[in-house]
Amino acid sequence: MTINRRVFVKSGGIALFSLGLDPLFLARAAFASVRPTTGPPDRPILVCLFQRGAVDGLNMIVPHGDGLYYQERPRIAVPAKDVVDLDGYFGLHPSLAALKPLWDNKSLAAVHAIGSPDSTRSHFDAQDYMESGTPGVKATPDGWLNRYCQHDREHQNTPFRAVAFGPQLPRVLAGSAPSLAIDDLQAFGIRVPQEAARDRLARAFEALYEGSATGLLASSSQEGFEAMQMLKQVNPSQYQPANGADYPRARLGRSLLQIAQLIKAKIGVQIAFADVTGWDTHVNQGASEGQLAARLKELGDGLAAFAQDLGEQMRDVVVLTMSEFGRTIRENGNSGTDHGHATAMLVLGGTVNGGQVLGKWPGLGPEKRFEGRDVAVTTDFRDLFGEILARHLGAADLAPVFPGYAVDPTRFLGAIRA
Amino acid sequence: MVSHLLLALLLQGAGAPSSRALTPRDSAFHALNRLAYGPRPGEVDSVARFGVMRWIERQLDPGRISNAGLAERERQFQLLDLSRDDLARLYLEAQRARQERLRADSMARAGADAADQTPEALRARRIAGEFQELAVVRAALSERQLEEVMVDFWTNHFNVFFGKGADRFLTPSYIEQTIRPNALGKFADLLIATAKSPAMLFYLDNAESVAPGSVPPQLARLQARTQFGLSPWRRVFLDPMGPMRADSMRQRALQRLPKGLNENYARELMELHSLGVDGGYTQQDVINVARIFTGWSLERPQQGAGFVFNDWAHDYGEKIVLGVKFPAGHGMDEGLRLLKLFANEHATMHHLGRQLCARFVADDPPDGCVDDAVAAWHRSGGDIREVLRAIFRGPDFWAPQNVDAKLKTPLEFVVSAVRAVGADPDTTPRLAQVVARLGEPLYQHVAPDGYPEREEDWVNSGALLARMNAAVALASGKLPGVTINLDAIAPASADPDQLIAAIDDKIFAGRLSPHTRQVIRDQLADVPDPEQARTLAIGLALGGPDFQRQ
Repeated sequence: MTINRRVFVKSGGIALFSLGLDPLFLARAAFASVRPTTGPPDRPILVCLFQRGAVDGLNMIVPHGDGLYYQERPRIAVPAKDVVDLDGYFGLHPSLAALKPLWDNKSLAAVHAIGSPDSTRSHFDAQDYMESGTPGVKATPDGWLNRYCQHDREHQNTPFRAVAFGPQLPRVLAGSAPSLAIDDLQAFGIRVPQEAARDRLARAFEALYEGSATGLLASSSQEGFEAMQMLKQVNPSQYQPANGADYPRARLGRSLLQIAQLIKAKIGVQIAFADVTGWDTHVNQGASEGQLAARLKELGDGLAAFAQDLGEQMRDVVVLTMSEFGRTIRENGNSGTDHGHATAMLVLGGTVNGGQVLGKWPGLGPEKRFEGRDVAVTTDFRDLFGEILARHLGAADLAPVFPGYAVDPTRFLGAIRA
Repeated sequence: MVSHLLLALLLQGAGAPSSRALTPRDSAFHALNRLAYGPRPGEVDSVARFGVMRWIERQLDPGRISNAGLAERERQFQLLDLSRDDLARLYLEAQRARQERLRADSMARAGADAADQTPEALRARRIAGEFQELAVVRAALSERQLEEVMVDFWTNHFNVFFGKGADRFLTPSYIEQTIRPNALGKFADLLIATAKSPAMLFYLDNAESVAPGSVPPQLARLQARTQFGLSPWRRVFLDPMGPMRADSMRQRALQRLPKGLNENYARELMELHSLGVDGGYTQQDVINVARIFTGWSLERPQQGAGFVFNDWAHDYGEKIVLGVKFPAGHGMDEGLRLLKLFANEHATMHHLGRQLCARFVADDPPDGCVDDAVAAWHRSGGDIREVLRAIFRGPDFWAPQNVDAKLKTPLEFVVSAVRAVGADPDTTPRLAQVVARLGEPLYQHVAPDGYPEREEDWVNSGALLARMNAAVALASGKLPGVTINLDAIAPASADPDQLIAAIDDKIFAGRLSPHTRQVIRDQLADVPDPEQARTLAIGLALGGPDFQRQ
């Protein structure tokens, strides 16, 4: 039974509907005064992409300089001639070729052999741990990005401070700090086709909540209406990417486009989050072409388009990819890979110490493997996440963000320029 | 104690707790909001006439309430005709079809998408949608409302995650056979039923927990017959998110066999299901509880995926838990003994009493309510019905400051709105999708703690806007599969003042705030078409702040 997010995404939610309002009703729409945009000053922004399903780090950032890699993967290894070489040992999967210029201009780094200290090979446990930021502890109620927002009060809270693209708030943003889940910018708000009816309904609800709501209902509804007002000025349907950026058509492309749009609108986005699915490649993974190649192409082209679209503004932005674990070193009998341990992550942006593969590489030798089969974890994901929070976003105190873990700057990889 | 009993008698004698500031209609409204999923049109009056305490007593004894209307609707759900075996087969077929399609179309995206569109996959998805919708439909239509509220409570208290591997076919029978029959019974029975349920054994990994060094009898067979590959049950269960049928997998079969203790269930049993996080247990207790449950596992899907006790996997050594000795040489019986012990620990009574008071009275429940619940638990030996009765008869339940004080969860909001407009939902999963969109996809809570009960967990700006949209969509009859009956609230010919008065009366028992009435009145000023006015007014009322609370 494949009940995944797709069920909810595809058929989920309420179809656009019309109230069938007559012209008289629409005519009264006295427009609320437009709120002044107090554009916050440029400030660092973090974009997180979660590759759900466990990406095969070894075919994303390929150790083409290691004979064992080819020995273990006779059918799915990326041939050396196809790999986009990075440093003589590692190279990009050819589907990520669009990222090579970003590597060359030192705004893209890769981190290999990164993952969780917990050994679970369950997608759901491992995703849970990576989002709660507390490997091995299931009872943590909130996510690490939300805890960052709770404890870092330096930044002005706007309704758009932390935004997730998707129908539900992901675990990583769950918690007491306000965060917004947006399935689609164009559909956010009161959803009635006619703009006048929409405005009128929105104002009616706003009046209802202004007058009788208290506490959290009052503040949250106010944030919602503010977000709607702010979005109206952003005018999501009219957006044109800059610099000829061409986003892939699929969901990730749309999410990245809308993130870029929000960033450019300067409405206070500090953290944006989106899911990228389809990495659980147990069967027919493919090599230079095929299933994984197609997913990587969407990722690489999407990131490249995003960087191109933002142009100069990328100096304030860091994009981080993450995935719950990696996959087996050896290919399986179905030309795929099974659940493994460490994987690779990408860090892209203006403050990134790019042009290098970071992290201690444990090697692929049988004696170096985790439980005899997987790439060993040499970097706890919290060390990378913590470094980005501290050095890019300027988080002062990481103790409450990663409870039970002493984030130690001496373990930082140097992914962000100090 | 005596004073509470007296009070309860007084309240019963009066037919309603009118000695408080609440009128009989207020009391009926409050009881319908908390023990039920809100009033249907006219129900506040009928419950007030019947007598609120009498109505509560009836709800506490659901077997005596006729539920023919719901039974009729349930017959339309194919899911209820399928056994756990059937569901297991469906799941395996869908997996097999997916893998075959993937092997057939090696070409990337097209292959993956096509694999999700096989007839088997679509059928499995439809059944899953029905499963979620069934919960909403029962909550909306059942006359045994308190039973439905308690099923929801226990479903979250003993949460399993539908998306984890075998739980995709184990969860429906978990709800039907483990949770529902025990929802108003003895807590110990419920605790034991969940401990033995395949869904929980799989979800919290106890099925994989074995005494270190123990050797399964299959091992020898597996070694002898590697060319036949892994047993399907290993294939499905060890790596639920993806197929495991490869040659290389066969070689790894031995590596992958459970090697030792898994503490997952033991920990959650104490932390969440019984004692509570401050229940006074130690890490050593967790380990010993895990040892006691070694061998509690489930059969292969082909054999029915039922509970099985594997004595080869059980740790027969001596254990001590919470200072209580479990002597060596015992098998499954010591697990049952432990569950009964936990069910009657004071920490468990307090933990559960507090959770029930948080559900029925206030997010931060008054101590008096918890004390009443614990006392009733002691008295009755953990009879859930008696604990609830004590809560409903206690002064805190009826205290005016606790009325309209709780925020509705997404499920409560959607179901209460459906009931408010006299709606009749069919089997299409539309309402379950609305509940999901508002943040509570049913059976999809990944972590073992279940969906939260507190206001701050549910109120965020996006979710509130989504509630407004859902309210307007429902009132305008635009949700497919949901037939509404606004005439039950007010005739289409009603003028604005009559309309607002009817909404206030039928949906809010006369407690609608003056501000909300005024705003709706203003909105109606230039809507000449009375049907449109009715739709708009009801949409605003359901999406407005008053209706978010109960």
